Amino acid sequence: MTPPTRPIVEFHDVTVAYGRRPVVWNVDLVIDEPCLFGIIGPNGAGKSTLLKAALGLVPLVGGEVRFFGEPLGRVRSRVGYVPQRETVDWDFPVNVMDVVLMGTYGRLGWFRRPGDRERRLARECLERVGLADVAGRQIGRLSGGQQQRVFLARALAQQADVYFLDEPMAGVDVRSQERIFHVLDDLKAAGRLVVVVHHDLRTAAEWFDRVALVDRRVVAAGRTIDTLTPENLQRTYAGHVDVLDELAQAIAARGRTP
Amino acid sequence: MIFDFPKNEVAGGGFRPWNPAARWIVFAAWGLVLLAAGCGGRKPPGAVDGGLLRVVATTTVVADLVRQVGGDRVTVDCLMAPGIDPHSYKPTPRDADRLAGADLVVASGLHLEGKLTDLLERLGRSRPVVLVGDSLPEGDLITVGGGLFDPHVWFDARLWSRGVAPVAEAVAAADPAHADAHRDRAAAYVARLVALDERLRTQIATIPASRRVLVTAHDAFRYFGRAYGIEVVGVQGTSTESEAGLADINRLVDLVVSRGIPAVFIETSVSDRSVAALREGATARGHDVGVGGTLYSDSLGGPASGAETLESALEANTAAIVEALADRPAARAEDAP
Amino acid sequence: MTSAAGILSYNTVVVAVGVAAVGFAAGVVGSLCVLRKRALAGDAAAHATLVGVACAFLATGRRDLATLLAGALVAACAGLGMLVLMRRFTRTRDDAATALVIGVSFGLGITLVSGLPAWGYANSAGLEQFLLGHTAALTARDAWLLGAVAIVAVAAVAAILKEATLVAFDAAFAAATGWPVSGIDYAIVGLVALMVVAGLPAVGAVLVTALVVIPPVAARFWTDRVGTMVVLSGLIGLAAAAVGVGVSATRPGLATGPLVVIAAAVAFGFSFLCAPQRGWIARRAEAARGLTVRQGGGDGEAGR
Repeated sequence: MTPPTRPIVEFHDVTVAYGRRPVVWNVDLVIDEPCLFGIIGPNGAGKSTLLKAALGLVPLVGGEVRFFGEPLGRVRSRVGYVPQRETVDWDFPVNVMDVVLMGTYGRLGWFRRPGDRERRLARECLERVGLADVAGRQIGRLSGGQQQRVFLARALAQQADVYFLDEPMAGVDVRSQERIFHVLDDLKAAGRLVVVVHHDLRTAAEWFDRVALVDRRVVAAGRTIDTLTPENLQRTYAGHVDVLDELAQAIAARGRTP
Repeated sequence: MIFDFPKNEVAGGGFRPWNPAARWIVFAAWGLVLLAAGCGGRKPPGAVDGGLLRVVATTTVVADLVRQVGGDRVTVDCLMAPGIDPHSYKPTPRDADRLAGADLVVASGLHLEGKLTDLLERLGRSRPVVLVGDSLPEGDLITVGGGLFDPHVWFDARLWSRGVAPVAEAVAAADPAHADAHRDRAAAYVARLVALDERLRTQIATIPASRRVLVTAHDAFRYFGRAYGIEVVGVQGTSTESEAGLADINRLVDLVVSRGIPAVFIETSVSDRSVAALREGATARGHDVGVGGTLYSDSLGGPASGAETLESALEANTAAIVEALADRPAARAEDAP
Repeated sequence: MTSAAGILSYNTVVVAVGVAAVGFAAGVVGSLCVLRKRALAGDAAAHATLVGVACAFLATGRRDLATLLAGALVAACAGLGMLVLMRRFTRTRDDAATALVIGVSFGLGITLVSGLPAWGYANSAGLEQFLLGHTAALTARDAWLLGAVAIVAVAAVAAILKEATLVAFDAAFAAATGWPVSGIDYAIVGLVALMVVAGLPAVGAVLVTALVVIPPVAARFWTDRVGTMVVLSGLIGLAAAAVGVGVSATRPGLATGPLVVIAAAVAFGFSFLCAPQRGWIARRAEAARGLTVRQGGGDGEAGR
C-alpha cells in the first residue's frame, strides 16, 4: 500500500480548557502511517480529553486537528470511535445487533432505515469480535468484556480508516483484552490507523508500535522502544507514586519488545 | 390597620442609610409612599361625606338595591364590576381600603361571595354590615346540601323584596335625618318588585308546558324556576367552582332531546364552553338546539346594556326566555350564533 | 337513560376519540422523552402552558381551543428556552433550574387565569379549567384538532426514531459521527412540548406530564426493544384514555383527566408486578430458583 501523502492525523498546537482551567496545551503530534498508536499517561493527564478534542466533542481553545489533511467535518465517514463504556446506560432497550447497526447510520443518513446490506455488515463485524451468537441479547445482560466488544463491532461497522478508542481495556477481563487486541492488530494489518488511549504501561509496551506519553502536554512520542525510556517515564509520571511498579515493569518489558 | 403610615415613624425601623445622598433618596421615597397612601381617599368612618352616606356593596344586585332605597342621599361603591363571578371573587387590598371607608356595607349573603366571608365578618365588628340573603326566613330558602342555601334569591322578586326592609332600616339608622325618605323609597320599591313578580309569572306561563325548561350554565335560577313555574337545569352545579363532567353533559343532551327543548342559555359571568358541546351532542341526535341568549345571572348588566337594575335585568331575562322557548317549536339552524 | 347509552353517546365518542388520540401520541412521544431522560423538561413545559393560555386570551380576546393552545405552545417553548439559557449561562443545576422555571411560570399562570375573571375581563371565566382539563367541553372541531396534532407528532417520531434512539443511547458517539445532537435533542423536547399542549384539554396542565411519562415507563417492563416499547407505550396511553373517558361518561361528577391518569397508573402497577422477566413477581421467582437474569456469554466473568 502506497504511503499516504498527508499524515493521517495531525495535532497542531492543540489546547483544550474547561472554563478557565487548561487541561492539555500546546500538543503537537503527527501520525503518518497505519499502526497501533497508544496514548499513555497518568490519571488526569488529559488523554481522553485529547481524544474528544480530536473528534470535536470538546471545543478547542487553540490549535487544530486534521485528518488526511482535512478538518474532521469533511472526512467523518473515515473516522471511527469507541467511547468509554461508562457514558452509556446499559439498561437501554436495545440489543447487540441494534447497537452494531448504529455504526452504519453515518453512511445511511437521515430517515433511511438499515437494510439487508447493513445487517450483513453488522453480522460480519460481530463475528470478527466473537459475539455472533449473542446478537439478540439485550446489552445490559453482557459482561464487561462483551460490552466493550459490542462497541468495537459498532466502530468496525463504520468502515473507517482511522479508529479512536478511549480506554477500551478498562474493566475488561484478560481474555477479552486479548481478543480486542487481536482485532485491532488485524485492522492495522489491513492498513488502518488505530489510536488507543490506554492506562496500562505493561501491555502498552507489548502491544503498541508507537506511543505518545502525555501529561497535559506531549512529553515524548515516537516508536515504542525509543519512547518508553526510564527518563521519559520519569518525566511523565513524576509525582504519581502509585505507578512506580508499572514503571519498573514497563522498563523490564521494554527489554522484550523488538 | 395595615395601611396606616403615621408620620412620626418615617425614619425609624432600623434603617441605616450609608451616606447623605442615600438618606435624602430614602426620605424622598418615603415621602412619595405617604403621598400615595394619603391620596387613597380615606376618611374616618362615621362622618357623612358631603352630606351623603357612603355605602359599599359587594355585587351589582345589592348595589342596585341600595340605590333604590337610598336615592340620591347615598353614594354606592360596588366592589364587583358587571360580569364578574361573585362565587370566585377574591378581595384585593384596595377592596379592603374601600370597605374600611364605608359607613355601611351591604352584601348579598348566603355565601354567594364565598371568599369574602371572613372579611365581612371582621368588618361587622366595627360598622353595620347587612347580609340581605341571611335576613330572609330560612323556611323560604332552597337548600343545596351540606347545610347551605342557594344564594341566588334575587331571582324571586317577591322573596327578594322582603330583603329590602332590613337594608332600609340600616340606611335609616345611619342617616337618621332622612330616615322617612328612605323608608318611603323602600316601600315604593317593594311594591314595584311585587308587581314585577306578577308580570313575570304571567309571561312565563305563555310558554307551552312541555317546553318550559330553562337550561343554563350553572344552577343560578332555582328561585326563578320555583317562583315562576319553569323547570331549571344547570350544566354545572350551584357554584361555578365545580366542573361539568362528561356524564353530566350526556344527561343534559338526553334531557334536551327527549323534551324537545328549543334553546339553552348562556350567562354573562360563566364559561360557555360546555354549552357548545351540549349543542353538538343534541344536533348529532337530530335535534338542533339554539342559544336563546345571554342571561344575567350573578351580575346585572353594565351601563347602556339596558339591564343595570334588577328590574330591567329580570325583565330582559324573562323576555329572552319566553322568546326562545315559546314561539318556535324547534330552533332553526340559522338561529345558532 | 342507561350507562350503556352514556358510553355510546355522541359527546362520549367525540371526547373518547380526541382524548385517545392524545393518549396514544403522548405515549409515543413520551417514550423518546423518557429514553432521553428529559421528563423534567416536559414537566417544565407543562407548567408554563398556563401563562400562554392566559396571554393568548388577553392578546386576541378569543377563547377557541386552537388559539389558546397556540399560546400555550409558545409559552411552553419559552419555558424550555429559559431552561436552555440557564444551563448555558449560569451554574444552576438542571433540577434546580427546572424547579425555578416551574415555580415562576406556574405561579404567574395561576395568577392570570384566576385573576382575569376577578379583574373584570369579559368572557375570561373558564380559563382555569386548563388546570385539570375540561373534556366535557370538547366539540367535534376540538377533537379534530387534537387528532391532527396527534398524527403529526406520531409521524414525526416515526421519522426520526432511528436518530433519536442513537442520540438517547450514546450522545458522544452520535456527535463524533457527525449527528447534530443538540438539534435532535431540541426536536425531541419540542415534540414533548407539543404533546403537553395537546394534552391540556384532556387532563390539564397539572397532570399532563403523567400522561407523557407513565405509559413509557409501564411499557418498558414488557420489552427490550425500542420499537416495541414505543408502540406499546402508545397503546397503553390510548387504553388509559379510553378507560378514563368511559368511566367519567357513566358516572356524574367525575372529571375525566384524573381518571385517565389513574388508569395509566394502574397499568403501570400491573406492569411492574406482572410483566414476564422484568416484573417484580418474575424477578422474585427467578431469584428463588437461584438463577440470575444476567448470564455471562461464556467468555469469563458474568455481570458487569
